[in-house]
Amino acid sequence: MEAKKKSAEDFEPLRQLVRHHIESFDYMVEEGLSEMFDRVKPVIVHDSFTNKRLKISVGNPEIFPPQKEQGSSVFRDALLPFECRQARISYTGKLMADVEFQYLDAGSPVVRERFNFGQFPIMLKSKRCHLRDADPGKLISFKEEAAEMGGYFILNGLERVFRPVILPKQNYPMSMVRNSFRERREGYTDKAVVIRCVRKDQSSVTVKLYYLRNGSARLGFWIQGKEYLLPVGIVLKALVDTNDLEIFNHLTSCYGQKDREKGAVGSPLVSERVKIILAEIREMSLSTRLQCLQHIGEHFQPVMDGLKKESYYAVAESVLRDYVFVHLDDNNDKFNLLIFMVQKLFSLVDHTSVPDNPDSLQNQEILLPGHLITIYLKEKLEDWLQKGRKLLQDEIEKKSQTFDFFSLAHIKKVMEKNPPKQISLAVETMLKTGRLATQTGLDLQQRAGYTVQAERLNYLRFMSFFRSVHRGASFAGLRTTSVRKLLPESWGFLCPVHTPDGEPCGLLNHMTLSCRVSSYYDSQGNIRDFSKIRTSILSVLIGVGMIPSLPKLVKSGPPAVLFVLLDGRVVGAVPSSEVEKVVAHLRRLKVSAASVIPDDLEVGYIPLSMGGAYPGLFLFTTPPRFVRPVRNISLPPQETQTIEQIGPFEQVFMEISCPDGGDGGRSNEFPATHEEIHPTGMLSMVANLTPYSDHNQSPRNMYQCQMAKQTMGFSLQALKNRADQKLYHLQTPQTPIVRTSTYTNYNIDEYATGTNAIVAVLAYTGYDMEDAMILNKSSVDRGMCHGQIYQTETIDLSDEGSKLDRGQKMFRRNKDAKSTHSIIDSDGLPYVGQMIHPGEPYCSTYDKTTNSWKTQSRKGSEPVYVDYVAMDMKNSKNLPQKANIRFRHTRNPVIGDKFSSRHGQKGVCSQLWPDVDMPFNGVTGMRPDLIINPHAFPSRMTIAMLLESVAAKGGSLHGKFMDATPFVNSVKKSNGDFESESKSLVDEFGELLRSCGFNYHGTEVLYSGVYGTELTCEIFIGPVYYQRLRHMVSDKFQVRSTGTTDQITRQPIKGRKRGGGIRFGEMERDAMLAHGAAYLLHDRLHTCSDYHIADICSLCGSMLTTSFIQPQRRAIREIGGLPPARAPKKVTCHACQTSKGMETVAMPYVFRYLAAELAAMNIKMTLQLSNEVGA
Amino acid sequence: MDGVSYQRFPKVKIRELKDDYLKFELRDTDASMANALRRVMIAEVPTIAIDLVEIEVNSSVLNDEFIAHRLGLIPLTSERAMSMRFSRDCDACDGDGQCEFCSVEFHLRAKCHSDQTLDVTSKDLYSSDHTVVPVDFADPTGYDSNDQQRGIIIVKLRRGQELRLRAIARKGIGKDHAKWSPAATVTFMYEPEIHINEDLMETLTLEEKQSWVESSPTKVFDIDPNTGQVIVVDAEAYTYDDEVIKKAEAMGKPGLVEIYAKEDSFIFTVESTGAIKASQLVLNAIEILKQKLDAVRLSEDTVEADDQFGELGAHMRGG
Repeated sequence: MEAKKKSAEDFEPLRQLVRHHIESFDYMVEEGLSEMFDRVKPVIVHDSFTNKRLKISVGNPEIFPPQKEQGSSVFRDALLPFECRQARISYTGKLMADVEFQYLDAGSPVVRERFNFGQFPIMLKSKRCHLRDADPGKLISFKEEAAEMGGYFILNGLERVFRPVILPKQNYPMSMVRNSFRERREGYTDKAVVIRCVRKDQSSVTVKLYYLRNGSARLGFWIQGKEYLLPVGIVLKALVDTNDLEIFNHLTSCYGQKDREKGAVGSPLVSERVKIILAEIREMSLSTRLQCLQHIGEHFQPVMDGLKKESYYAVAESVLRDYVFVHLDDNNDKFNLLIFMVQKLFSLVDHTSVPDNPDSLQNQEILLPGHLITIYLKEKLEDWLQKGRKLLQDEIEKKSQTFDFFSLAHIKKVMEKNPPKQISLAVETMLKTGRLATQTGLDLQQRAGYTVQAERLNYLRFMSFFRSVHRGASFAGLRTTSVRKLLPESWGFLCPVHTPDGEPCGLLNHMTLSCRVSSYYDSQGNIRDFSKIRTSILSVLIGVGMIPSLPKLVKSGPPAVLFVLLDGRVVGAVPSSEVEKVVAHLRRLKVSAASVIPDDLEVGYIPLSMGGAYPGLFLFTTPPRFVRPVRNISLPPQETQTIEQIGPFEQVFMEISCPDGGDGGRSNEFPATHEEIHPTGMLSMVANLTPYSDHNQSPRNMYQCQMAKQTMGFSLQALKNRADQKLYHLQTPQTPIVRTSTYTNYNIDEYATGTNAIVAVLAYTGYDMEDAMILNKSSVDRGMCHGQIYQTETIDLSDEGSKLDRGQKMFRRNKDAKSTHSIIDSDGLPYVGQMIHPGEPYCSTYDKTTNSWKTQSRKGSEPVYVDYVAMDMKNSKNLPQKANIRFRHTRNPVIGDKFSSRHGQKGVCSQLWPDVDMPFNGVTGMRPDLIINPHAFPSRMTIAMLLESVAAKGGSLHGKFMDATPFVNSVKKSNGDFESESKSLVDEFGELLRSCGFNYHGTEVLYSGVYGTELTCEIFIGPVYYQRLRHMVSDKFQVRSTGTTDQITRQPIKGRKRGGGIRFGEMERDAMLAHGAAYLLHDRLHTCSDYHIADICSLCGSMLTTSFIQPQRRAIREIGGLPPARAPKKVTCHACQTSKGMETVAMPYVFRYLAAELAAMNIKMTLQLSNEVGA
Repeated sequence: MDGVSYQRFPKVKIRELKDDYLKFELRDTDASMANALRRVMIAEVPTIAIDLVEIEVNSSVLNDEFIAHRLGLIPLTSERAMSMRFSRDCDACDGDGQCEFCSVEFHLRAKCHSDQTLDVTSKDLYSSDHTVVPVDFADPTGYDSNDQQRGIIIVKLRRGQELRLRAIARKGIGKDHAKWSPAATVTFMYEPEIHINEDLMETLTLEEKQSWVESSPTKVFDIDPNTGQVIVVDAEAYTYDDEVIKKAEAMGKPGLVEIYAKEDSFIFTVESTGAIKASQLVLNAIEILKQKLDAVRLSEDTVEADDQFGELGAHMRGG
């Protein structure tokens, strides 16, 4: 059967999984960078002599596709990713940008100079990548995988992925209670409202509004690593021209006369607090806007860069612009938002609303690579401009003759002293190490761990890197476990199954299969214009009865009206009786393809409640939010498009029915408006591959997710072109007979990870106890689970030694070393296909300067084959300096290797049992490939494994693949597809088996292979897909009888690589003591360790003062032809000047060492020797 | 005990015989004998298989060990195997393939010159000995009318790829490596003896009978359309799964049927890989079993053990 050639469409679902990485990078390249460049603060150089000022700014960035270094300057060859991997270089393209110079006062024109900002890392399959639109055929010609979907970077030949991190939701004021707020200053409480404001270029500033014990509030924000706190009153007055009455009315609008009415958020205390706020600023005698601005400017001038000479007014303006609610441009909007936040804060204080949970996905979004790089680059650019300004200023002050302030050439020269290429280099280093080198912290919670190496151990592991989301490194060290909790809010977005156990449990999550991240691109691939989207949303809202907030009218607040926040801007209020209708209308427009409302608009409607979450209508359009599709069932039936993208914020207050659990406690009052597309949408890709996972005990599915990622699978198809340090490869993978729909949709067949083994469940020889398993030797002989490890050694001659003797070394074979000629070819490199034993040389180099030969030798304990040898011919002038040699270790199953089924049932091979001794079926003659013990099932309850066995048996008998998608039963029912009698899976398979003459329950009568007699029980036997895990004894076994010892203590060293031993530690010692095995203990701890016979002077009790006396050389007379007797060792004590009291005592050598150490600090150790027992 | 002879005279009756398939009855012996025969057929009848591969050129996608492993698993016609020597016992050579007593040399040269994938198969293996060649699976009846019946695929080559190697096949047994096993499947089952309690059966209605008959997953029983009696149509289809007995108990009629396994009667199924004919496989197995017994009989230990085992020792020496 000829396999169908895969087309690009086949891999489309796969591509969807990494889309958020690539789209964020694409946006950065296409628009994000120029957006950011425009917002980079220009610097102004002031020449104090001529009093001329020069403004330097940047703009117009452009990133080019990767090109090779050499070649003519006009036309250069494209640099392809596979070349980077092999040559261990980075996949980077040139970043060019304009630097604009303008002399301010003279009205002189703007001069633009093109600067090269260095080599910028390019994400694979992004718009600047050569693989962008390549179809599978083209990809193969580029020596890539046919299924390559990019999303990662190649840095120094290593593939690194950005690890997305959870961030607080942007532009949403969140009420929080934290004890640390109390420690801000005296009088602060633990309550605050926090908003993370994000500018269009993705840089963000977090603003906190603290509640004070006296009833007032303070607005806090960070400038240069320090938090500044301003009374709210000042900020309110500084933002717009207003008066006390207006502020009072605004703030108290949320308090009606009826106190305990539903949804009331205000309380009589609010007006008291407002009075305090107003009194505060009155005391500081600030009443007008100008006074407030002056006050702010005065206090902030020292900390604001480059505004030393500006007026207080200008300083205050820039503080408000750059640090307060930076997502808004208009001061009226900022004023309204601050009013909203104060109201929310007071409501939190009065317990009329509950605090928002920062650990809940409802209040979170995700940080993507393109966005982080943009803000990181922004800081680096600003630093570069500042540094350039400083250099210029220094130059001016030096008054050097060679420097002319009005010559751009001179200025450029000075600017280049601080190389612009470092900027791209900084980005590369950031991606290489995952570490941010920044002073400000970029309003992020962690500085390290942003990228990880994408290991290609198997495809599932590789894929998971792109779907993973980390909660943040700062939470890993936290003692509390609340952040790790699985919260219902993350339903459908983060997989509850696919998280590792152990330390990153619950912190490292994976996005579900259907979860996407909203992006700057719409479904047609055009960049969205958010300002246009916002205006259209606004007009829709006004159309359905929203009272806009802008002509300021008499205010009322909740519960009469609900405020509408669009991307963190208070756009108006909707009467609470109308809200439901407005929301339904918005949702209808969202789904309909014709409307301008984006399909991933988040309509976060928090309804009025008694002391619930603070009510309001919160609309979000901006990326990067999580979104997932659900079916809207409340739409009129003529609507064709029913799939709606929803976010975690709105999901909490939506009624979504899942085809599994009835109405989910939903009464008739709240009918479901939405419906899950398929229950498996709540699982990640890896979790979705577990067959019948709905029949397993839940932790087993988690174990499977981990084990699937450490399986030896078919690692790569383009293996020939790879130079990975280590690759595990399964020689003969099979497609599972029992598989889920995900397996088919995502083409996992391209990278299968296991073998369909015939598994018999019985206790046969005793070698299957305690999770051990018996493999059939003949099956292994025939190739079951055979595998290889590919390992590449890179030899770089230019690495070693100083720069001087670069090019002086070369790969050459030593003509005289004849013994190596069978392994090493005349070019100094090994023959391909050659077997190399441990310790044998495989590569020979010659150093011209020292005229010396050097060979590299194999380490390890097993012979390897040379798979591939490649040389770097980049510098054609010089001799090649770099070579990759790939070795192949054969790894066929041996005793001690680890295997696992797809249900968290792992086991170790305990025997390769002869085929003839295996039990056999009298009718078919079938012998199992693998035997596991029945005790593996009762406590673990992996029913799905039993189902898989039966289903696979039925499937193989009928020659068809079995669908094992979880939750199929519940879906079938909801479709109205009632089967006359609801058939359980077992009944379905039982019929399949029975029709082929097999037992209904999957058991068979087997005969003992040894005796030929019938086994007393019927045996459960059938094919189960088994994975070979990468933990293999050959990599782990540790043996030592004697060997190297530590120099100081003379005890055996540790470490497998160095032939060390395994520590017989304290607890092991205790066990021996408990057994009374004194002799064994003595053997382990003394005889086999640092056994030592010391000479001790019994007179002074010292063992350090003894020394040998060299026996005098005297003629030894032979007595009677006998050989001369060995002269007895003469030992004397230096202290006692005699050898009278010398005794020999066996002791651990460390004891002597201890005595020496003690002596070094002037403590004498005296031993008292005695022959009496117990003395 | 003296004077009692355990000697029996097993009988073999061949039911069905094809080149690669044999079904026969073995009677008048016990399970130990039957199982010994099975075990010998699987693991100890010698065949010839490629054991040593010298790769000259390999630019295919599969690595050297992979190809060597695949070559080893190709069944070779091994009629000669019984008369050949194990290369470890061969005193005429050192087992390097030049020796006609213990080894056969193969050559393979294949290079793809076209844009189409070239399948390198077992037919491309050239043997130095015309009696030892890869097994031909071409269906003589021409059922698989595909003309390009080209044997077992070793590797597929694309344009420019080449495979050139020398391989040495040696004699071996399945115990050492599964590639030397001549048997695809050897199995035996006890012949069942089925007694239907007719009196009890007559108490059942026709529907009950029908459901009882259908409770067996294999077609063992049927209902005579004329008399309405339950009859045994194929006793050997019974797999000892006890389904009918359980069913009878569930119907409240225990003892409806009694089924015994005849302790001394076996039905063997032998499928060969093609290396030797199925019939030859059985004969060879018996021959080897005899040799093994001879080895026991003639060994010093057995003579010594005579005192202990008395009769048994004598018995083994043919007494």
